[in-house]
Amino acid sequence: MANQTQTATAPESDAAAQKIQQLRELFADASDVGKAALENVIKELSSQVSAPPPPIESAGRVGARLGKRSELTIIVPLVPGGAKRLRTFLQSLGGNLSPGASKVGTLHDMRFVFFDNDTRLLFATSFDGDWDVYIDDFIALIPDYLDLMDSAWEGWPGIRNPGAKDYLVKHQITAEGWFVANPELSLAEIDRLKRVGAAADEFLDKIQ
Amino acid sequence: MTTQPQTASAAASSRTAEEKIQYLKELYADAPELSKKALENVLEELKSQVAETPPPPIESAGRAGSRLGKVSELTLIIPLAPGGAKRLRSLLQMLGGNLNGANKVGTVHDMRFVFLDNDTKLLFATAYDGDWDAYIDDFATKIPDYLDVLNAGFEGWPGIRSPEAKDYLAKYQVTAEGWFVANDLTVAETRRLERNGKAMDEFLDKISE
Repeated sequence: MANQTQTATAPESDAAAQKIQQLRELFADASDVGKAALENVIKELSSQVSAPPPPIESAGRVGARLGKRSELTIIVPLVPGGAKRLRTFLQSLGGNLSPGASKVGTLHDMRFVFFDNDTRLLFATSFDGDWDVYIDDFIALIPDYLDLMDSAWEGWPGIRNPGAKDYLVKHQITAEGWFVANPELSLAEIDRLKRVGAAADEFLDKIQ
Repeated sequence: MTTQPQTASAAASSRTAEEKIQYLKELYADAPELSKKALENVLEELKSQVAETPPPPIESAGRAGSRLGKVSELTLIIPLAPGGAKRLRSLLQMLGGNLNGANKVGTVHDMRFVFLDNDTKLLFATAYDGDWDAYIDDFATKIPDYLDVLNAGFEGWPGIRSPEAKDYLAKYQVTAEGWFVANDLTVAETRRLERNGKAMDEFLDKISE
């Protein structure tokens, strides 16, 4: 028994020691703040990297996915005057994009952020499932809203153009770190759970 | 409902809507043909949106960022120190890119790390519950060292325990001018709903046995 335990745990602790060594090497030229922080979490971190959580996967053509949830991160150059037009349009909606966006039933969240003195735009969303299906949904459900907003994008061919997807892919940058609190819940499932919750509350009220 | 638009206030708000639409048309006067056409296509729908049921505007998440209902956005674009991208990327790869340590914070809906401009900058974007200050405080109290390990590549990062940490973050945060959230529940509420749903399924299974 004692032998068994020894043989079972020895390679494991070797592997852990190796991971710790790897992490220390990685942070050898980090700032002092980074090095001190690493030492505080090195045991926990090395056990995490020895048995990492399920890795992020591809959302399809581009982008990362965890469970059912994917990320889309697009950075585009803006045409002259594009930022002003898009900003004013967004302001006319109070910055709340739900009129159009809530029609796309797989879209969890979406942001428009202007940066580099209005010369570039970040468009970032979190959505259910596969890239191609998601873009197809936009095309089918809100093509004109998309073209209204994207007309500020340099070289945007129009969502009905066969080159639209290639344009998006060209400007999308896949996240190298991704986290979702409820990766297994699609929006449709969240809606179903809300209905189940309401029905359960009603039921419990009645039998009391 | 159909008689309501005749009331004075509704007429006034629809006049404002007319003006808004007119302004939009002017705004798109020098836009490409493509988007002028797109505007024409959605004009009727837009009219009713800005007139009758304008959605509640986005609000401030506090010191920086936008909020809709309970959910806020944080978007940081940060210059990376030399070697910072390589180190952070290696660390992320060792974790399979899955940042599930963020579960400890309890209010994070989603979070991404994206390297930009030939690894000279990092985009860090999250969706979270509530107010900016409380959120940063949560990071600072629950996972300070993980934060410092990840942020070690940020140029000039003072460390989360430094009194300047919040100023640093606010300096590099860019507030979104358009924001949308589909699920109006907090992370905690969504989790509770998930548990209740499972319990309900079990209950229904049992009584149908």
